[in-house]
Amino acid sequence: MSTETPTVPAVQADERLAYRGPIQRLLTRPEIGGLIGAGSIWIFFWSVSDVFGTTAGINNYLDVATSLGIMAIAVALLMIGGEFDLSSGAMTGATGMLVVLLVKDTGELGGLGLPLTVAIPITFLFAMGVGWINGTLVEKTGLPSFIVTLGTFFVLRGAKLGFSKLFVDKVIVEGLDDAPDYDFWVNIFGAVWIRNDHLWDSFLGGRDLVFGVLAAIGATAIVVGFMELSLVRRTEAGSMPSVRSAFALLIGLVAGFGGLIYLTQTDGVADNWTGALVMAVGAILAIYGYSSWRFEPFSGSSGGVSMGGQNGRRALIGIGLIVVGTLLGVVMDSSNTDVLGLLLTVQGLRAILFGGCVIVGVLILLGAAQRSDTSPVNRFVLTALAGLSVAGVGFVIQAEAASRKYRAEFFAWMMAAAVLLVTIAIVRISFDQRRHADEPADRFGTLVSISGIVVFLMAIATKLLWATSIELVESRAIITYRISILYFFVFAGVATWILMRTKFGSWTFAVGGNKGASRQVGVPAARTKTQLFMVVSGASWLVGTLIAFRLNSVQANVGDGQEFFYIIAAVVGGNLLTGGYGSAAGAAIGALIMAMSFQGIPFAGWNSDWRFLFVGVILLLAVMVNNYVRGRAEKST
Amino acid sequence: MSEPALLEIEGISKFYGNIIALRDITTSVRAGEVTCVLGDNGAGKSTFIKILAGAHKQSEGRLFVEGEEVSFDSPRDALALGIATVYQDLAVVPLMSVWRNFFLGAEPTKWGPLKVIDREKAASIAKEELAKMGIDIRDTEQSVGTLSGGERQSVAIARAAYFGAKVLILDEPTSALGVKQSGVVLRYIVEARNRGLGVIFITHNPHHAYPVGDRFMILNRGQSLGDYAKAELTQPELTQLMAGGADLEALQHELSKAIGG
Repeated sequence: MSTETPTVPAVQADERLAYRGPIQRLLTRPEIGGLIGAGSIWIFFWSVSDVFGTTAGINNYLDVATSLGIMAIAVALLMIGGEFDLSSGAMTGATGMLVVLLVKDTGELGGLGLPLTVAIPITFLFAMGVGWINGTLVEKTGLPSFIVTLGTFFVLRGAKLGFSKLFVDKVIVEGLDDAPDYDFWVNIFGAVWIRNDHLWDSFLGGRDLVFGVLAAIGATAIVVGFMELSLVRRTEAGSMPSVRSAFALLIGLVAGFGGLIYLTQTDGVADNWTGALVMAVGAILAIYGYSSWRFEPFSGSSGGVSMGGQNGRRALIGIGLIVVGTLLGVVMDSSNTDVLGLLLTVQGLRAILFGGCVIVGVLILLGAAQRSDTSPVNRFVLTALAGLSVAGVGFVIQAEAASRKYRAEFFAWMMAAAVLLVTIAIVRISFDQRRHADEPADRFGTLVSISGIVVFLMAIATKLLWATSIELVESRAIITYRISILYFFVFAGVATWILMRTKFGSWTFAVGGNKGASRQVGVPAARTKTQLFMVVSGASWLVGTLIAFRLNSVQANVGDGQEFFYIIAAVVGGNLLTGGYGSAAGAAIGALIMAMSFQGIPFAGWNSDWRFLFVGVILLLAVMVNNYVRGRAEKST
Repeated sequence: MSEPALLEIEGISKFYGNIIALRDITTSVRAGEVTCVLGDNGAGKSTFIKILAGAHKQSEGRLFVEGEEVSFDSPRDALALGIATVYQDLAVVPLMSVWRNFFLGAEPTKWGPLKVIDREKAASIAKEELAKMGIDIRDTEQSVGTLSGGERQSVAIARAAYFGAKVLILDEPTSALGVKQSGVVLRYIVEARNRGLGVIFITHNPHHAYPVGDRFMILNRGQSLGDYAKAELTQPELTQLMAGGADLEALQHELSKAIGG
């Protein structure tokens, strides 16, 4: 036991509050279901398709996700505020068409021939007006927004077709570039960045090095941050690292990163063995060295190893599943693409059985380790077993796999996961777990782990969005990034910030959660809702303008029927259909899931007639997962 | 009668067309006192609250706040004069956190026009103010939906008190609660009274009203059956009055006959 040196008590959190570690906290966010779903779908399509994981593939579904996502975010805000807008889809087409009609100067009746500098603000005011009308009608009549905006939807739909026929006698209006100042505005709404050059290849040593360095920094920060959040800080003031732990830390860092970088560069079996082992030992040494300097050693009773009873059975089932899955993976022919039944090839069946058995097996082991009645030693054994199994399966995959992505990258990631699990096992049995909040440590840990997550995401983005010239030649793709991607990310960030940090965000949750109560305490409920309708129509204006600049023309039916996809994306991203709960980032993730599902099906070589079936299943799964996550969140707060 | 009552109600009547909802109601509430308004269903309690809260305007009669005659055109007017109403089912937003609920509609902001909520300030004030009322919240980030029914009402009461309410009107705060939870709310009513607020406690339960009340006004079919100080009334008398006096006696008589066989 450590001697209690009384430190200056910082602002202590309530002692009745059980301390929640970083993982538990993450698991109660509304976005988490969507995030896990997006990850799984990505891995799924990545493994069945050669194009899906490449920059060209990503470019493809990111493009679909942007216009869907901008709308889904706005619709999510409105949904949190307790209302729907069924006119949002038709509005995108209406604003797009309006701006073209205002600037074009040819056709039956001719357009107005206005410059875009005038036409774009007019269109924006029109959108604001429609949003205001929607909101005011809903508020004044007290009718459900579902009905009111259904009416607006039909009005817009009819107006689009009618005006289109009236002005140009066609169902499409063309000629946005008639505008005299088109060249200026195209930079703002229609900018395109074509990536078929080799400009970036030598930048800072190339993509993979940038990725490696960013990923390493990010991962280190995440590990450090999470340890700060979950372990007890050493109490001796100004403790210096002992020689032993400093040495371990240093050697470990060098070995760990060296091994990781080596690993991503090779795909030979012997090379991988060496790389993986060096990385594993290095990482574990580094983390152990750092922790023994900074955190209190384990002081509880470890409890004996008893693998009898429930836990023994769970361990057996878990290991059994992993072994069976791996055997199936080895036995079944991975290159056989004979179709067994609907959709499914031998190859696909193998992937599902192999992956499914291993994932479920590992989850069973980890689940048993997390149970509160599991003794620390047993927890160590179970977690370490899970880690070793992942490593073992990784080696089997590497030996079996035909394509390079499994032999090199996937193998590296599995090794990283295995090392992580083994390290968690070692750290949890060697150091004391926090049971109480500790303000300075929490602040520091949160800051470091969030920055780590951001850097790590940047690393992944580098890897995914930046094609090397070799890849460009191989895929023969021209990669076009549109400015809409930028709008999508910026809007997602701004909307999240508004929801979480501002008065308007708080009121949005309030009017959707309990309108009567918020009105009672002086929240201007009608105004807030009307503003939310205007946010949606404003987003429609943005998307409509982007479409107009992209195609130079707008068809009368653009956007009709899309409103349901916006709502689906918002729901998949964890927004509650009945209002009062949700997140903007979640809606963005939901849009990504939808786009990946839509575009992934042709990438995987499947008949895209089935895509709606797939979307339906995803919607159901997402809603169930979200429901579960929300239940957990409400219980644990 | 040295200083004027916080809120004085004099001869209030309310007519909806030819329906007489309230007739000639007179009562008052002083600082540090609880005035209970008792009445059965349909006695006119809701109309009475709505007039005091500024949601409706009385047809006849006058209202005085601290001795000055006032006239409310909207709930905002009433709120501005320090008259806060806590409705039973409109007290809080369950999915939002305690501190967000506490400051809803009056969030402390920073960064000027951006209206960014000062979360730390809000959370610490909420915790402090609730502690003053004797409500010990574990974590102000927890959603109000996880609190018990009594605690929810209490959060609303504490909020009203913090935002400068002088008179607190509580609409049936205990009617949907169990025995224990009602006790919790009654304790906070006493707490609010001890802090110098005037409380108008509307209820149909004389057992809840008698222990905390200083004055009792009994409504029956839109008319006042009297406005009593606590000293003038015992609890059985209060129950009796509320139940319509003679009616209950007759019922008791009949019941005992039926039971006696």
